[in-house]
Amino acid sequence: MVGPIASLSQLNRADGSASYKCPATGYSILGAVNAPIELPARRDALKPEEATVEVFVKPGTTTAGVGERYVEGILRSVLGKIVLGREKGFPRRGVVLTLAIVGGENVERGDSYLTILPALLHAGLLAMVSASVPLSMTFSATLLGVTKSGDIVRDPSPTAAKAAVSLHVFAVSSKNHLLLNESEGRFDFDTWELVRERALSICQGETAASADGDVSMGEGTASASLSGFIRETVEDQVYSDYAYNLDSI
Amino acid sequence: MSKEAQLSIAERDFILEALRENVRLDGRQPDDYRPLNISFGEEYGHVNLQLGKTNIIVRISAEVTKPREDRPFDGLFNINLELTAMGSPAWESGRTNDIEAYATNTLDRIIRHSNALDTESLCILKGVSCWSIRADVHVIDYDGNITDAACIAIMAGLQHFRRPDAVVRDGRVIVYGVEQRVPVALNITHKPLSVTFHTFNDSKHVIVDATLKEEQAAEGDLVIGINSAGDVCYLSKYAGAPADAMVIVKKTNVAWEKVKEINAAVEKVLQADLAKRAKIGMADESRAENDRLVQIE
Repeated sequence: MVGPIASLSQLNRADGSASYKCPATGYSILGAVNAPIELPARRDALKPEEATVEVFVKPGTTTAGVGERYVEGILRSVLGKIVLGREKGFPRRGVVLTLAIVGGENVERGDSYLTILPALLHAGLLAMVSASVPLSMTFSATLLGVTKSGDIVRDPSPTAAKAAVSLHVFAVSSKNHLLLNESEGRFDFDTWELVRERALSICQGETAASADGDVSMGEGTASASLSGFIRETVEDQVYSDYAYNLDSI
Repeated sequence: MSKEAQLSIAERDFILEALRENVRLDGRQPDDYRPLNISFGEEYGHVNLQLGKTNIIVRISAEVTKPREDRPFDGLFNINLELTAMGSPAWESGRTNDIEAYATNTLDRIIRHSNALDTESLCILKGVSCWSIRADVHVIDYDGNITDAACIAIMAGLQHFRRPDAVVRDGRVIVYGVEQRVPVALNITHKPLSVTFHTFNDSKHVIVDATLKEEQAAEGDLVIGINSAGDVCYLSKYAGAPADAMVIVKKTNVAWEKVKEINAAVEKVLQADLAKRAKIGMADESRAENDRLVQIE
């Protein structure tokens, strides 16, 4: 299976940006974060001691509609929880995330938006990292489909997702906690448990963090997991950003 | 409402003074464009265009709809430009601003109203069904001159795009998938492009393709829409200081040269991409191990 492709900070104007491409589902997302940014007065009244996280999803070939609003709500709640909005310079400011769907099929009106959710989550997270927004943790997300015969398929294509009996999106934090669970379709609790275990192994791989929360940094199996992939993408960027520094050490 | 950071007085004076000595910030000549880089995505009609630091993605899409009541023979064509916070932190996602309204209007006038895309060829069945072509412009990095960049990208996209084949049989419309029949290119009647000039120092200095800083220091702008044959299809002196009539006459000739140059460059990239596609062909789609498609006739 071909893994996802991601890169950081390729835009000039935005404070942070990331592109994320998932070959299995065909989606390609470009994310940009501006933070901290001044918010107009009408929106900062809710929680004056925290930063306001705003998410905007821009579909590739249509105007944004109900589906985009729905997925924006999910993204806002997940990212709003992990952004440290009380850090210095962030209260009463905005963290504005823009996600443009630049490649892949369109999500038709009425179709499930879950198929694109993991790609949006990853692009959003990487853009946040690129913009140096303080985060309490990172996460990785995956899409799983359950077919009629009860098989669990990882990252089903849009057509396979339509045929699936149920779709599940899980986001697992870097500390192995379940951050997000969105499910659609008919399934029983046993199926859900199986899917959850599978999602956990996809996101964290076999090298789960030890009890004290330390993650082993060695080479090897880490790249097989999604959280390893996120970590490696950021490591690569840091390595090229500080290349001038490495030679002099 | 956040605003683009204003130019400092020193910066403005520097730009104006440099222009008096015929020097631009990035060392270009007054009639030079920034380096133009066009690439196509995997899908038909997906264009990624870089003009200096201005970066634009255009996606063309097609769907079957009902034609308008008063124009039963015409298909639909729309250009959609929405500026988001991705392009510049000064833009607020989901709210229109002046640049968006102005750029959309200019693109509409140059490409749609000059009939660059022949909408009559989009008709499938009179008054019943037609193709609706949609061009979505995503400005992902903004450093001035989005109208020219978007115009080039949309025209390149329209030439690159292939719509599925559709036929009428016994009064029923059948749309064939890309795997079933070779998709069809759009009917382009001519290739107009916009060329934007900015004037400085009482229209003594006129430059093409201004960067954001040059745009901010300019006293007025002049947009000329012209095609390779030299037909002017749009001319706008929207705001700012008045420009000399001779400037407009002279610059129209410059615009024509530019459009011929750019159209040739687009054509070159387009042919290279189509040749590459022809080489790969339908190799992936025609593999024996693929699932069989059930033919619905």
